[in-house]
Amino acid sequence: MEVTNISGSNSENLKTTLESDVIVTEGVTKVYAADGIPVNALNGIDLTIQSGEFTALVGPSGSGKTTFLNIISGLDNPTEGTVWLAGKVLSEMSGNELSDFRRDNIGFIFQAYNLIPVLTVEENVEYIMLLAGVPKAERHTRVIAMLEAVGLTGVANRMPTQLSGGQQQRVAIARAMVSEPAIILADEPTANLDSKTGADLLEMMRRLNEETGMTFIFSTHDPMVMAGATRLITLRDGRIDPDEAR
Amino acid sequence: MIFKIAFRNTFRQKRRTILTGLAMVVGFTLLSLTIGLSDGAYGNIITMFTRNRIGHIQVHRDGYLDKPSLYKTIDDLSAVGEVIQSTAGVEAWTPRAYGAGLGSVGEKSTAIQIIGVDVARETEATRFDQKVVEGNTLAETPSHEAVIGKSLAKIVAATVGSEIVIVSQGADGSIANDVYKIVGIVESDDDATDRIGCYLHIEDAQELLVLNGRVHEIVVIVSNINQVDKITRAIETQLNDPTLDVAPWQVVAKSFYRAMQTDQQGDAISRLVIMLIVAIGVLNTVLMSVLERTREYGVLKAVGTKPMQVFWLVVCEVVIIALASICVGAILGALVNYLLSIYGITYPEEITYGGMKLKTLYAVVNVRCLVIPAITVLVSAAIVSLFPAIKAARIMPAKAMRTH
Repeated sequence: MEVTNISGSNSENLKTTLESDVIVTEGVTKVYAADGIPVNALNGIDLTIQSGEFTALVGPSGSGKTTFLNIISGLDNPTEGTVWLAGKVLSEMSGNELSDFRRDNIGFIFQAYNLIPVLTVEENVEYIMLLAGVPKAERHTRVIAMLEAVGLTGVANRMPTQLSGGQQQRVAIARAMVSEPAIILADEPTANLDSKTGADLLEMMRRLNEETGMTFIFSTHDPMVMAGATRLITLRDGRIDPDEAR
Repeated sequence: MIFKIAFRNTFRQKRRTILTGLAMVVGFTLLSLTIGLSDGAYGNIITMFTRNRIGHIQVHRDGYLDKPSLYKTIDDLSAVGEVIQSTAGVEAWTPRAYGAGLGSVGEKSTAIQIIGVDVARETEATRFDQKVVEGNTLAETPSHEAVIGKSLAKIVAATVGSEIVIVSQGADGSIANDVYKIVGIVESDDDATDRIGCYLHIEDAQELLVLNGRVHEIVVIVSNINQVDKITRAIETQLNDPTLDVAPWQVVAKSFYRAMQTDQQGDAISRLVIMLIVAIGVLNTVLMSVLERTREYGVLKAVGTKPMQVFWLVVCEVVIIALASICVGAILGALVNYLLSIYGITYPEEITYGGMKLKTLYAVVNVRCLVIPAITVLVSAAIVSLFPAIKAARIMPAKAMRTH
């Protein structure tokens, strides 16, 4: 897989360079005010991620991994810089357009699972498809198949609180992948899992990546995830240092 | 799904939901009670005022209401009476003749108002016989009898069987005077009338005042008070006489009606205050709830829920609580109003309103006492939820998900 670091390119070139560029960032900077003191979480990130990559963002805590994932998915706004997602400039999209775009193109896996506590496992997994207007029968079939794929057969009617941490994370993974989005963004997906469950899930995601061409971007500290990644981007003090293809 | 989440959210913090609902139920019940009591009291007052005194509609010679005069008379009573009688919705009607004079019993004299009544019709229309507290009502044929107000009897120290000498002015300009035997004393719940009212048979009054069969007023009672305006217009059209003035009770008793409306506006302000207090309480709990669920709203938005859907989620949750509260409040409100419509609230001391004495305040159960609180609670709950809902809808997902 070709890896392109497009640092220094102009924006017009970025939009037209490669059809398979799903994420392009240029000069992305994020400054937080922590107790009134400005903190530079990201310092001018220029990056291109192509369709089908299995990329790991690594780096010490506070290096800007989660912030970067939030910004490339439109969950947060950069202080400066531009993000293109599948050719669209995120900052030019309205709230509704962003919601629709995330619903149709991005699956999120959060470190803290973030399931909706009042919905059952099945309802959590089908939620995004329901927003997208997928018919009930099709939703049910896909949910059951996805739960089986993540090893959660027979828990469809349980509430999230009735599941273990590992099971909840699998539900979150099923929710992220059931609508077959083009991009999966995963923030420390294995952090709360035991090593066996983590390895199983990683293996499943790797298989999906190879079979369907889904783009996976992880932020992680987990050596197992790093080892499985085809591209390793290290963030240090909000800068890329280095960006390695494998 | 948004409704499902909202519905299930109401069961997450049961105590808070119950407290929020309780505030709405109390607000609903208080509103229902104030409307029930207000409608009951005003309905009672209006009934007493119209049914016992002025009737629902009055017919006069044009200009009489603004400036009453002995000479402003309805000349053809039987023709006008026939028209009124034939109008649909009219239950009863009765003619009256008025005159001012001086009444003397023994050595005591005072100003009086001569009220000539058709005894049979007046009894049917305004229950005249029921106002007699001592002695008898007037004979149905002219017999030179008088019935006087209780306070007037005190002023001139009259008793049943006394004779009253009346001096007045005839419509022909002559001095009118005659003697009448007091056969009864009336108490009408109207202080002013009881102080000066001296009732004579209408033919005796017409003879005394030299009216030659003419009258000053025709009082009409209708079977449904809500149809007063329609029946007034119907009588007016059928009479087709520009010299006659047909007026509903709201025009006849203008100042009374205005005072009542002002009082009702005051009630509306007290209702508004009740709802404001409830709304502030509800706003507080809804804001707390939104604050607690900030992270969840962030997640919902992150996975593709539109801001407007998050907005409706919050509004829905409050509206669900409001609807449940309205159901409970409606049962409570109807029950309390029903009990008060039977037992009423007795005042420690008799109060006077519009010249009428009231001893007990009765409520009423009607559509207004359920629909107005329901709309008020629902609308104020929805309004109160707007601010937290907008706040939730505008949440930036990444920032929201950082909260715990």
